[in-house]
Amino acid sequence: MSHIDIRDMSFTYTGKRMILKDINLQIEQGEWVAILGHNGSGKSTLAKTLVGLLEPAQGTVAIAGTIITPETTPAIRKQIGIVFQNPDNQFVGVTVRDDIAFGMENLCVSREEMLERIAFFAKKVGMEKYLDKEPASLSGGQKQRVAIAGILAMQTGIMIFDEATSMLDPYAREDLMKYIRQLHQEGLTIIMITHEIEEALLADRLVIMKEGKIFADGRKEELLKQPEVFAQSALVMPLALQMAMQLDDEATFGEVKAFLWESTFAK
Amino acid sequence: MGIHFREVSFHYPQNQLTFYQAIADITLQIAKQDEFICLIGRTGSGKSTLAQHMNALLLPTEGSVEIFGSLITNKRDKKINYNLLRKHVGLVFQFPEYQLFEETVEKDIMFGPLNFHVPPEQAKQIASETIKLVGLDETYLKRNPFNLSGGEKKRVSIAGILAFDPDILVLDEPTSGLDPQGKIQMMELFKAIQAKTGKSIIIITHDMDLVYEHASRVIVLHDGSLIYDESPEVLFRRGDLEQFHLQYPNTIKVLSALRDRFGLDLDIYQKNLPDALLAIKKAVAR
Ligand SMILES: Nc1ncnc2c1ncn2[C@@H]1O[C@H](COP(=O)(O)OP(=O)(O)OP(=O)(O)O)[C@@H](O)[C@H]1O
Ligand SMILES: Nc1ncnc2c1ncn2[C@@H]1O[C@H](COP(=O)(O)OP(=O)(O)OP(=O)(O)O)[C@@H](O)[C@H]1O
Ligand SMILES: [Mg+2]
Ligand SMILES: [Mg+2]
Repeated sequence: MSHIDIRDMSFTYTGKRMILKDINLQIEQGEWVAILGHNGSGKSTLAKTLVGLLEPAQGTVAIAGTIITPETTPAIRKQIGIVFQNPDNQFVGVTVRDDIAFGMENLCVSREEMLERIAFFAKKVGMEKYLDKEPASLSGGQKQRVAIAGILAMQTGIMIFDEATSMLDPYAREDLMKYIRQLHQEGLTIIMITHEIEEALLADRLVIMKEGKIFADGRKEELLKQPEVFAQSALVMPLALQMAMQLDDEATFGEVKAFLWESTFAK
Repeated sequence: MGIHFREVSFHYPQNQLTFYQAIADITLQIAKQDEFICLIGRTGSGKSTLAQHMNALLLPTEGSVEIFGSLITNKRDKKINYNLLRKHVGLVFQFPEYQLFEETVEKDIMFGPLNFHVPPEQAKQIASETIKLVGLDETYLKRNPFNLSGGEKKRVSIAGILAFDPDILVLDEPTSGLDPQGKIQMMELFKAIQAKTGKSIIIITHDMDLVYEHASRVIVLHDGSLIYDESPEVLFRRGDLEQFHLQYPNTIKVLSALRDRFGLDLDIYQKNLPDALLAIKKAVAR
């Protein structure tokens, strides 16, 4: 039994057009998976079915052996946290502090522990000076940082990031990725939806969606040998690999190419 | 002159007693034509605040902004037609959600043209042309903009500004949320618009590759102050960018790794893949 187990799952918003079509996806505990795919391919919809926000029309989604239903959803939410694509959808509180606390409120975290975690994770994302501010008065990237802190503070075993870093500056992004890597090493299951190939390369496994289906799924080293898969799904190969592929004269550029491949995966 | 900032500072009210200074003492000029400017800086450095001064959505707390001949200051001036300024300078918001409000995509895109007195039939025509420019087909016109994916919303919000054909385009993170090929197409669209009309374009972004490849001028904000205003060639040769939480473009990073690994005599300052490949071939041949 996989940690996340999606079987023959389809989803529709309107009752007519199927948005997710016959999805089968198994993710093991401790995996780091990046989900890629064109705009409208169904990534966010898929993520929402994983936390019981959207209910499949057909098939099942199970987390740690429990099939998600309206009855099991509250318990499932304690195991899986999601940072939404639009941070505003996550804000309910009057202050940044309230918003970081919000996710913890259903988790039976003691008040002391909660305050500690708020302080720790606000600092982790560089927002410790903003705790009393209204979330609405933050810049775009600051909102994303707060949304991220709220999920990190829940310390759930599975974390989903839906384009959670799209408005961070490169430095903040790198900082966060370092921390996610640490969480991954501690055994967390990470699902990262992203359009940034450099970010996806930090994962072990890539799942590429296209028109509501899983178009490709495999280890990054394998998928990156198939440029056609990227071309057909609105993706672009990492720059170093594009270079390696276009330096075709093996005798002259063999070593350079080998280095470009190595450096792409040495992160 | 298109837009002229003179010693502009802006304070967000914090509560009754205090305020937050988001930009400080900014002086800068943007020509009406032929500028391709990228505005960069770390999270919270004041980019969106500055952008909202360019079409008088925010009024400077101190200093003035001259927009197509109208002098904008702290006080609203009855003689200035603020609505018309928005026809001069079209601003795409960072979050499309702040810009979409009609019940169909079509009405959203038609809003600008109608606001500037384009006849309804023509506005409808414009909407079906513009939706295709941003990579969506006409079936999207009847959709509710709130039921779109993130990237689809972004595209619609860009279409909504292109539709009324402003004289200058200010785009706040227009490629965040777009898929990689969509991002390339969107940049090609902006380039094509500029090639055809000469309109100046200002783009806020965290994507250093985009900056290096496309900008003719880069403005860097840090803690609300303008610290650099120069070409990308000059900017990315600086050694101190990390202190401002900025990064170097991927071409430079990959080429410098190659140079160091193989001790190549390699010019690492290349803006795109074809140039980078040429540089590698030259260096290896040496
Ligand atoms: N609330 C909704 N009602 C109806 N259709 C929707 C709704 N939300 C999304 N859709 C449609 O479902 C499809 C999948 O949307 P989804 O948000 O899952 O895409 P995505 O892969 O996350 O795209 P993006 O990269 O743009 O975020 C899109 O075509 C979108 O238009
Ligand atoms: N409505 C507001 N009220 C109070 N402070 C605000 C408001 N909007 C922005 N600020 C503050 O002003 C500063 C600049 O914000 P701005 O949105 O201009 O930044 P930015 O450079 O666009 O950042 P980002 O890259 O994250 O979008 C931030 O520190 C932010 O917290
Ligand atoms: Mg999405
Ligand atoms: Mg901003």
